[in-house]
This record gives sequence, structure tokens and C-alpha cells, in this order.
Amino acid sequence: MRFLEDLWTIALREFLRYRRDRAYVMGQLLVPILMVGFIGFGLNPVVRIPGGGTNYLGWLSTGFLVLMLSSGAIGGGFSLIQDRQEGFLRAILVAPVSRASIVLGKILSRIVASIALISVLVAIFLSFTPIRLVHPLVSLVALAGLSFAFVSFGILLATRLRALESYRLIAGLVTVPLYLTSGIFFPVKTMPAAMRAVAHANPVTYGVDLFRYGLTGVHELPLALDAAIIVALGAILTVLAVSSFDRATRD
Amino acid sequence: MSADPTPPAVLTRGLVKRYGAVTALDGLDLTVPRGECFGLLGPNGAGKTTTIHILCTLANPTEGLACVFGHDVTRERAAVRGRLGLVFQEASLDRELSARENLDIHARLYHLPDRRGRVDEMLALVDLAADAGRLVRHFSGGMKRRLEIARGLLHSPDVLFLDEPTLGLDIRARRAIWDHLRKIRAERELTIILTTHYLEEADALCDEVGIIDRGRIAACGTPEALKSALGGDVVAIALDRPDGAEVALRRVEGVSRVTREENAARVTVAEGARRIAALLDAARPFGIREVTFHRPSLEEVFLRHTGHAFEGEGADAGGGSVAEGAT
Repeated sequence: MRFLEDLWTIALREFLRYRRDRAYVMGQLLVPILMVGFIGFGLNPVVRIPGGGTNYLGWLSTGFLVLMLSSGAIGGGFSLIQDRQEGFLRAILVAPVSRASIVLGKILSRIVASIALISVLVAIFLSFTPIRLVHPLVSLVALAGLSFAFVSFGILLATRLRALESYRLIAGLVTVPLYLTSGIFFPVKTMPAAMRAVAHANPVTYGVDLFRYGLTGVHELPLALDAAIIVALGAILTVLAVSSFDRATRD
Repeated sequence: MSADPTPPAVLTRGLVKRYGAVTALDGLDLTVPRGECFGLLGPNGAGKTTTIHILCTLANPTEGLACVFGHDVTRERAAVRGRLGLVFQEASLDRELSARENLDIHARLYHLPDRRGRVDEMLALVDLAADAGRLVRHFSGGMKRRLEIARGLLHSPDVLFLDEPTLGLDIRARRAIWDHLRKIRAERELTIILTTHYLEEADALCDEVGIIDRGRIAACGTPEALKSALGGDVVAIALDRPDGAEVALRRVEGVSRVTREENAARVTVAEGARRIAALLDAARPFGIREVTFHRPSLEEVFLRHTGHAFEGEGADAGGGSVAEGAT
């Protein structure tokens, strides 16, 4: 009980900070609308999705939502480094609060914020793209799995890095290839063989596939495999993040 | 030996902390009784912050024992954390939250009942009630430090650790912090352990001072006792007819030494302030022209015990007025 209360306190503080950062929230809403609007309508007549089921606008809008989710989620590690630099982290560490509740509070606050953002974007996208709520709960599972995975990855990285600049750089180096080979922008099926092999080895591919299925009914990979991989990935990275934070703050 | 039913607030024995090849603490022995205000005095790099971090469970000692109210800091972390409040050397507030929100988050972390009442009480204690809703980002250096003190006291700890509580503050803000600390001590039973490299601060606030140098306690005692151990105060009396004055002055109680410098007598006397009247009575027949009174400072105590001058002042002392003026 105490654990959950502490977790909520950590999350509450994050929410208080978001509420003040209106520019960030506006950016998070406007960037995907502009990107999906212009690129989607621009490429829609040019690109045909093999197998049908949806057009390029539907493909890109679902992919871009995952991109937004993960870029927001990576911010969890960013804020951890910030807390350490501003000294706030130490003030929390001397309080009688378990390390796990601190990490999980950070993770959950990010996930709640990301899911709220994605929900608003989905509502907007419903008005001008072909996405529809085919299996919204399936998409939610994909979102949760991806969120846990990306926030935890960010925290793992943040416990090893001291500077915000290097965090930004390394996070970009790792995530950009993951985005480009995960079926966010184009299907996996039509990729050259070598690239397709990378896509299959990329766990994000499965999360994107599952998420897209929930909003378009289209998928390229076995759904059970999608779900198993993304849930396992989220769970494993979360456990690693908690134990890494625990070790990093011990001395 | 049976267990002491009331262990001291802080006890360390043979405390060693090494960071790789660097030895930060080299066998530190410290005993701080309950209810005392104890000052750890030393230059930068002497081991003050390391000591505080170990006592607050933020770092593990390499060797030795450290207990807070009888609880071992490495094995009973939770018990130790619950009883201590800590004010860091560097800011540790969330600048994007208001003063009230900062305190409220901490009240939640300590599971305090009646959070709102307690937060109000603390804000009033440090004179920040009127600024409760403002973001900490807009606070001056002195206001931030006061808010940190309020946060350190929020959960009514038994011991408050203050690491350089007035570092980087200007004189006005520094005195305000001292006044607040005195007020807090007058109102509640609280042990305070502070580190400082301002000798003046240790003199103004502390019941007892430990001089720390190169990771060890070089000397420990009340500021008065430490200064008296140097032989006491020096009273120099310039006289019209100095001949014979030395003999007369030597008879005054507490005088340990009298030397003649041209037409002045230099008298070393314990508790000089109390004996100056007697000294003047003894000197009057010789025609007093001028009197100077010099009290040895902690700086001289420091020099005596460490064999080197106190170099802490200066380097970090600047910049305070900038921070204070940031409102």
C-alpha cells in the first residue's frame, strides 16, 4: 500500500510538471498532425499498400502515433538525468521511499501521459484518415507494451550517462534505426531481404504491427507473436530498469 | 558493556571512505550528543560532505562504523532515513513546482497526516507563506535555501543535517538563515549537524565544533574552549610609564603571560572579556594611553591544529549577491 502511495506521489510530481509545460504539449499535438497531414496526403496517391486493407494515410498515421509515443517515452530517461543534475533526485533518495517505487512512478506517469496524448491524436486522426476503432483494446495493449519498453530503455540509459547531450545522442542513435526498420513508414513485407531480416529482429516491429491492427484491421505478422514479444519486451526492460536504478543510486 | 539506552545522535568510529585512489575520510571519530548544534569545520575537500552523505545513507563507508540514534547507516537505512532531515549544499528542489507543491510532494513521501496544515506551518516558519504559490524557479538563493530548510524539517526529524547552509549567499541572506536556525532550535528538540567553511558561521551557531582536515577530526570542543586552549585573549595596553607594570599585571587572576613591547604591555589572559576591568585597575597607576583587545579566532585554532592556514574562504564565497538578487 505504501509502495503504491509512493509510486503515485512520484507520478503526481511529473503530472504537475507536464501541466505547466504547455508548449511541449502543444508541440506533441501539432507535430504529428502536420506531419501525417502533409506527408500522408502527399504520398497517398503515390504509394500503394500491398494486400490492401488501408491506404498510405492510414498506414502512416498509425505508424506515426507509435513514433510520438516512443519519443515522449524516451523523455523519461531525460527527466531522470535532469532530476539528478538539479539535485532533486537526492532529496527523494534520502526519503524513506523504495527505489522501485521511484522508477515505476516515473515510468507510469510517462505511460499515462503518452496514452492520453495518443488518445487525443487518435480522436483527431479519426476525422481525416481512414483509421477506425477496430480493436481499440488491442492497440492499447501494444501502446502499454511499447511504453514500458521505451521508458525503461530510457531509464536504463540514463542510469549510465551523466550528460543530457550524450543521452540525447545515444538515444537517437539507438532509436532512429529502430524506427526506420519497424514498419512505421512503410511495410516490412516489401522491404529488401536484408532490411526485412533487420525488421524481424527489431522488437518494435511487432508493437507497431499490433498497434496498427487495432486501428486498421491490417497486420503483417502473427498477432499472437506480436503480443507475446511486445509484452515480454516491456516486462524485461522494466525489471532491468528498476534493478539498474537501484544499483546506480546505492553509492 | 551494556547497550546505552539513549545512544548519541551521531556516532562514528574509524570511518574510512575511499573513492578509488582518493581517500576522502581517513578514520573519522565523531560523537554528537542529542540536542546539540554541532559544526563540522574545514576547508573544501576536507571530507565534510562525504561525512554527511554517509550519515544520510547516500554513500556507504569503505570501513568503520556510523550510527544515527543507534541505527547503523548501512544496515538500518530505513530507520535512519525516517529520522533525518537534510539540506543539501546544492539546490535539490523542483524548480518547475511551486514552494507549496515542493513541500506537499515531500509530505506525501513521508506519509504525514494533515499535509496541508504541516506545509503551511513550515512555510510560515521560514517566512515563505506569501510566496507559497510561486514557482521555485523565480526564487532568490536565500529563499531557496529557506525552502530547503523547511523541507528538511517537514517530517519533524530528530536530526537535521545542513551541508554548507549559507554557501553562496550574501551576508544579509546568511544572517537570515542563522536567525531561522536559532528560532527553530528554540522551538523544538532538535540535533543539528552542519558543515561550513565559514569560521564565523560555526562561531555564531554551534555548541560544539569539530575541525576536520584531510579526513580526520583534528580538534573538537566548544568554540570558546578551542579558542581558550590557545592560551586565551590578548590585551595590549599602551602606557605612559610602563616600568613596573608587568609585575602588577601578572598578579591579575587568569593572566598567563605578560610581555613588554616598547611602552606597551601585552597580556595573555584566559576569559579576557571578564577580566579586562581588573587588568585596567592594575594598569591605571602607570597611565593608560590606549587599550586593544584581541580574541583568537577559530582561524587561529584551525591553524594551530592543522599546521596550515585555512584556505576555504574566498574561492566559493563570491557570487552570492548575484543569486540573492535574482528575484
